[in-house]
Amino acid sequence: MTQTKPNTTGSAETFEPRIVAFVCNWCTYAGADLTGTSRIQYPANVRIIKLPCTGRIDPLFILKAFEGGADAVLVSGCHPGDCHYMSGNYHARRRWTLLRNLLDLTGIDSRRLFFSWVSAAEGQKFADLIDDITGRVRQAGPFEATNPARRQPWT
Amino acid sequence: MDLDRLRQDAAALLADGRARMVIGFRDRDGRSVPAFITDAEQAGQLVYDETCLVNPAAYLKRIELKRFRPVAMVARPHVCRSLILLAAEAQIADDDVLVLAVGDDTYHGVLDLAGAAALLNETYADMPHDPEVMKRLDELSAMTPEERAAFWTEQFAKCTRCYACRAACPMCYCTQCIVEKNVPQWISTAAARHGNYAWNVIRAFHLAGRCTECGACEAACPQGIPLMLLNVSLARDVENEFGVKVGYDAEAEPVIGSWNADDGEDFIR
Repeated sequence: MTQTKPNTTGSAETFEPRIVAFVCNWCTYAGADLTGTSRIQYPANVRIIKLPCTGRIDPLFILKAFEGGADAVLVSGCHPGDCHYMSGNYHARRRWTLLRNLLDLTGIDSRRLFFSWVSAAEGQKFADLIDDITGRVRQAGPFEATNPARRQPWT
Repeated sequence: MDLDRLRQDAAALLADGRARMVIGFRDRDGRSVPAFITDAEQAGQLVYDETCLVNPAAYLKRIELKRFRPVAMVARPHVCRSLILLAAEAQIADDDVLVLAVGDDTYHGVLDLAGAAALLNETYADMPHDPEVMKRLDELSAMTPEERAAFWTEQFAKCTRCYACRAACPMCYCTQCIVEKNVPQWISTAAARHGNYAWNVIRAFHLAGRCTECGACEAACPQGIPLMLLNVSLARDVENEFGVKVGYDAEAEPVIGSWNADDGEDFIR
């Protein structure tokens, strides 16, 4: 798979979204791995960051991704009841419910922030998910100009 | 408001040693400022009105005031809720604090924390969110995301990172705040866009399910950033999504840190 050269400020035709995916080690990462070993193609716009559990995903990780110029962020982990650590995803779900609305209020809306459960067996679901998200972010366009969290150069 | 009775009660508490300090408000050149009274004879300077927006519970985190416990404080319902929440988070013991409970134009007398909880649940169980803030939240949600981003970028641009909002909040009691941790540095301390956004959003988020909407942070902000929009929005979500109004039960589990298998997840694909 070729690495996509980010063109996050370009025109609508040449725009390639830069999507950061925070995934858990036990389900979604294994699911993404299955996508690869099953030779299912999906857009190369997603950068996967593996964490032990969705419960480990601090809201600051998400903010840092937007600060660094992500056009969208995906957070994905084990289905409810399947957490390797029993309850990490339940804790994460509560946090996301509140964080999602807070970010929406402050200008990072639901076209930029996605949540999903992908199990280790759902290689096809992962590919479909990335396909769909990439399409949506492509439609939403570059975030660079309006991103309220974007890092500013020193002036 | 029976101010004389409040002063008498404060003096009596100090005189018989039930409290070693009374934290309330006094008048200084026509403005109400916090008063720290250790002498019964000075209790006469206590005043109270609707401009007393400082949350005295915030002083409980001050290490130099710990030796004055038990402390009695003039507390409106929001402040009582802060105290209940501090007890729920094991920051204060039952006998650390007494309350001189004040309400809208009423003085309820001296209460301990259990008494304050009873008063809240009987008389102030249904405290509405600030209607003015709710109106502005509706206006914001009617905007496009780009307009909201522009609104907040403009608001946060005023932030000088003085952290007065943090100092004014009784629930911001971490001995080392996330913004001061610099290995690694998650939140830039420069007063530039990204650090200001991260600070203000994370400050609000760290108070999710813990904010009692007392308004002290917004009142303390020298730049007039509408912080209560963030806080009330979160409090409203906590109420709607998890059915919790914080600060009414000293035994309650924290909202973030507990979970329910039936929590809503219609936004998760």
